Amino acid sequence: MKLTKRLLMSVVALGIAGAVSGTAFAADTIAIITPSHDNPFFKAEADGAAAKAKELGYATMVLVHDDDANKQNELFDNAIAAGVKAIILDNAGADASVAAVKKAKDKGIPSFLIDREITTTGVAVSQIVSNNYQGAQLGAEEFVKLMGEKGNYAELVGKESDTNAGIRSQGYHDVIDQYSDLKSVAKQTANWSQTEAYTVMESILQAHPDIKGVISGNDTMAMGAYAALEAAGRKDVIVVGFDGSNDVRDSIKKGGIKATVLQPAYQQAQNAVVQADKFIKTGKTGLEEKQLMDCILINAANASKLETFALKP
Amino acid sequence: MQNASRVVSALKEMRVTMKIRTLFVASLLAASVSGCKLVKTVDASSAAADPIAETVETTFDAKLVPALKEKAVDIVALQDAIKAGLDKAGESHGVRVGGAGGGWNFPVKGSATVVDENRASKAATADIDVDGDGKADATLQLGPVVKGTALRDTTNLYDFSTFRDQIEYARLGRALNDKAISKLPSADTPLKGKKVNFLGAVVIRSAGEKPLIMPVSIEVAP
Repeated sequence: MKLTKRLLMSVVALGIAGAVSGTAFAADTIAIITPSHDNPFFKAEADGAAAKAKELGYATMVLVHDDDANKQNELFDNAIAAGVKAIILDNAGADASVAAVKKAKDKGIPSFLIDREITTTGVAVSQIVSNNYQGAQLGAEEFVKLMGEKGNYAELVGKESDTNAGIRSQGYHDVIDQYSDLKSVAKQTANWSQTEAYTVMESILQAHPDIKGVISGNDTMAMGAYAALEAAGRKDVIVVGFDGSNDVRDSIKKGGIKATVLQPAYQQAQNAVVQADKFIKTGKTGLEEKQLMDCILINAANASKLETFALKP
Repeated sequence: MQNASRVVSALKEMRVTMKIRTLFVASLLAASVSGCKLVKTVDASSAAADPIAETVETTFDAKLVPALKEKAVDIVALQDAIKAGLDKAGESHGVRVGGAGGGWNFPVKGSATVVDENRASKAATADIDVDGDGKADATLQLGPVVKGTALRDTTNLYDFSTFRDQIEYARLGRALNDKAISKLPSADTPLKGKKVNFLGAVVIRSAGEKPLIMPVSIEVAP
């Protein structure tokens, strides 16, 4: 509701600006569409993209799809109607998003994907994603070390429609499964959600009070799981996350969550805008469509350098 | 829209099921006529259906190893070049993947003395001395657990854009590592103290790090 209003207002504002100032002053607009900013990861992406767009002289239209493919489809219609020059997208489903991206392409509007892939190539101009497999292996290696290579553990998995949920789980298991004394006693989805992870963790604890560790597909679920463990007086359980959020950084500094893996979300979003700008001006980016960006392990040793999904030098 | 794609995938599934059924009937017929074992037919068809395994089979010996051989830089020269500046060394000898946080991938070769061998870990390694000072200055991975995807990323043979998603691309990285491991000396061949010639790939993220090389061949010098 709030979003629709905001969106309508920005469309109206665009219309007014266009009518009043004419083409000479109306800046070209880039749409930035991501999941809900409730998760700071997506907010960092949107902020990074918007800052770079502004720097390059574009107006922005910042929208959220709340992981709803139908809503995303409507947002694409709105962006197309508003005549944006490019769309920066963190999508709402690897399969379900293909049609929306293609619709924009058919109208001559290029899309630049960040964070999550879609299952078709040749529809988006760029797909810049974190090297989730490499990152998950880093997280798993740290988890194995923290666990002393043995004990029962639980895994929290992300949203099934998101390729990143599967790839991180695979990266974890390609490392952890090599250690026969590490036993998976529960593997459940909490859909990337902090509140859902809290509930799931409570029930896992009841069924398996002997768990020694929890490896989570992202930081919000790690935060939820840790809160449930803390409430149950089980701060001894080792929790490892994925994303590199400031929340988990602060928890690591206090000795709560033990480690996470930083995805360079801010930089990634900025790269997408730079590529969009180049494409708008020259018709090409000069790069491959699908691009991987490496992740970095964050633990007590370097947590203090982490700020808004980027490492300070 | 979603319904349409569901129908398409359901149709695809039906087609696959039908194909399997046809195959199955055909192989049953073949079995009854020729006495061939049904198991073999199923194995062959499932192997052919895995594009990753097929990619590895068709490219590892035919393309990857020759490409590494052609471009490989001697480890001693590489380490000198890295000391003078990683980015410069990368630009002249390497391939960069993974953006700013990512490292440079180098094809690498050399002859060295194995000063230590760790087979106790599943991620087995051999520490090698490449400049003859008796100290280890690089590590060869011996598996079965291998870190990284240097074999996949060091040449331009495998383009991420041609794979369905990261999961497929990661499977390729792992399959190439597994294939390479199958060609390396096993634990029955102790390497400690031996002189070896190797060819492989390595990713370097900072100038100071000790290279962790993923070899495609290790030959014990006579």
